[in-house]
Amino acid sequence: MSELNEKLNEKEKIQLIFGDKRLDGRKFDELRNIKIEAGILKRADGSCYLEMGKNIVVAAVYGPREVHPRHLQDPSKAVIRYRYNMAPFSVEERKRPGPDRRSVEISKVSREALEAVIMKELFPRSGIDIFVEVLQADAGSRTACLNAASVALVDAGVPMKGMITSIAVAKADGVMVLDPMKEEDNYGEADIPFAFLIRGRKIESIALLQMDGRVTKDELKEAFRLAKKGAMEIYKLQKEAIMKKYVSESVENG
Amino acid sequence: MRQIVLPGDLIATNPKVAGFGTYVENGKVYSKILGLLDKTETSVRVIPLKGRYIPSIGDVVVGIVREVSGNGWSVDIYSPYQAFLPLSENPEVKPNKKPNDILDIGDAIIAKVLNIDPKMKVTLTMKDKVCRPIRFGRIVFINPARVPRVIGKKGSMIKLLKSELGIQIIVGQNGLIWISGDRRKVSIGEEAIYVIEEEAHTDGLTDRVTEFIKRRKSDVGIE
Amino acid sequence: MVEDILVDIKKDYVLSKLKEGERIDGRKFNEFRKIEIQTNIISKAEGSALVKLGNTQVIVGIKMQVGEPFPDTPDKGIIITNAELVPLASPTFEAGPPDEFSIELARVVDRGIRESEAVNLNKLCIEEGEKVWLIFIDIHALDDDGNLLDASSLAAISALLTTTVPAERFEVGDNYPLPVRDLPVSVTSLIVDDKFLVDPSRDEVSVGNRFLTITTDQDDNVVAMQKSGSYLLKEDRFFEILDVSISKARKIRERLKDI
Repeated sequence: MSELNEKLNEKEKIQLIFGDKRLDGRKFDELRNIKIEAGILKRADGSCYLEMGKNIVVAAVYGPREVHPRHLQDPSKAVIRYRYNMAPFSVEERKRPGPDRRSVEISKVSREALEAVIMKELFPRSGIDIFVEVLQADAGSRTACLNAASVALVDAGVPMKGMITSIAVAKADGVMVLDPMKEEDNYGEADIPFAFLIRGRKIESIALLQMDGRVTKDELKEAFRLAKKGAMEIYKLQKEAIMKKYVSESVENG
Repeated sequence: MRQIVLPGDLIATNPKVAGFGTYVENGKVYSKILGLLDKTETSVRVIPLKGRYIPSIGDVVVGIVREVSGNGWSVDIYSPYQAFLPLSENPEVKPNKKPNDILDIGDAIIAKVLNIDPKMKVTLTMKDKVCRPIRFGRIVFINPARVPRVIGKKGSMIKLLKSELGIQIIVGQNGLIWISGDRRKVSIGEEAIYVIEEEAHTDGLTDRVTEFIKRRKSDVGIE
Repeated sequence: MVEDILVDIKKDYVLSKLKEGERIDGRKFNEFRKIEIQTNIISKAEGSALVKLGNTQVIVGIKMQVGEPFPDTPDKGIIITNAELVPLASPTFEAGPPDEFSIELARVVDRGIRESEAVNLNKLCIEEGEKVWLIFIDIHALDDDGNLLDASSLAAISALLTTTVPAERFEVGDNYPLPVRDLPVSVTSLIVDDKFLVDPSRDEVSVGNRFLTITTDQDDNVVAMQKSGSYLLKEDRFFEILDVSISKARKIRERLKDI
């Protein structure tokens, strides 16, 4: 225990929690502002523009389409590829273009989350490519990207079991908070990204789960509660964005 | 307007009524695509709003020749799957004619899907009266999911286009449509097809398309 | 092609045994394979450990050198973790730059060490803003019979526990043992339908890549989690696996206390 206290004393702290409010004035279970638009790219089969707090991301889906080179084809199902990429100007210190180890890991776990729900057996020997570009990064860019990718896949007409919705929970000054902002991500004690399959308007199962930091089992239970609440709110916005694209056309034409 | 549904939306609890665009899990019927919900007493299906063309045997398709070989032609049918037209399936083949004299790279054809093997290799045939090489007219490319709307219930929409404009139309299931006839009428026909594509999911479309064609005809000064 | 057929045969065998409530090697669902830890194998490294987890073998070498700190943490040392899944360890590994599996493995092992603060980075400062200690944790797979991740985590912490800071070589003082103040242990489970198998062997993995790794510190706090593989996990299954992971980690930690 004394070692733990020693560790706690060492961390440079800025205060993150003020009573029942956070640095940016939000309540513990409040999401940042989210804006979602579906079908914003012409060339891609499906696409989505998404803002979550200061994150600005664009997702595009191509496919199902032919896989090149041939030897990468899978005779029984579509090959799913996901590329998370940060634009050099997306962060304060210019980021060198190209994948770094963090992007590779994020791409892997994000792809796996979507792969769990895409009906790939319907398209043997083909490929479905998902590209997500982070144009501006704030905490939670990977969750923003996954939300955008999910909408882009629906927009592309790709058959899926259901929607994937992603959100993170952090521990800030000992308090579990939903959808962490930059300072909570940097100075907090834990970061837990989630993604869920939402089906029949319910959170059914976990598609993505990671964690770094230090939490107890009870704190994890609270994290799940917050994440599920946040995910349902985001799911509604994802759905609205897709509907908006089709309903507005019919309103125009009576 | 029909209700729009998303993947994962619960649309029925009786697995027996599950139709196109749906899947069953744990006795419940869910939508697997973005589309329009079509519910009747005996079936529940989802009409897709988007999606790449996946060939079915018997489909009429419009394709572009990409490669010529000794035993036939590789044809692009704008699908994740390449198609092949064997020499034996092209009625224009004659013993002393070279394959590329009959069809060369870049030529467009109307063909039918003859077979799809387990590896999703698609074989085409031109041995059907609707099939032909395309030597004139225009090819219009739309979202293949909207093709049923261009055809219409029992062919009503395509009949409308033909009668109002007096043009020839052959609709490929893969979203490529061939039209031919008087140049100005073909042009209006193309515009009308784009209108149908944009508004495929709305009500009263047939009337609006009729209106549109009449208006454009008078704009251009045709009867 | 021959590999493929064998995978299918193994998969059926594993599944049929599971239906009877058994694992193919006779282990209980929450049982680890035999663990052997040898330290101080590579005398040229500052620290090293070879871990055998059943037939899986991993060696971790610790190299330390003096370098510049990151600009935003001028008084903290730096840990860099890398994993090489070299071709000799498995017929499926290829030479070349790290692929997503080796990157993921290295990052998850790193998370366990870093988030448990097993090494106090503040104590690795030689001259603020100028000189700090860099610790390179290099994971080298030797034989992949499944669960390289837990074997690597064990090897990493074991190597750190026996690392000597080479102050003399860099002329910044006398050599001293690297202070390690926590014992993070990772536990990886393979999820098969509604069951989960702790410390999966390679044959068991033939049923599908569906893993959940949970790393805990000596106070049973969770310091790292990674769900790996395309599958859906139910929340209540997650908490079951969490409980088992915490208790297995406690047992394994006892072994580390002997080092």
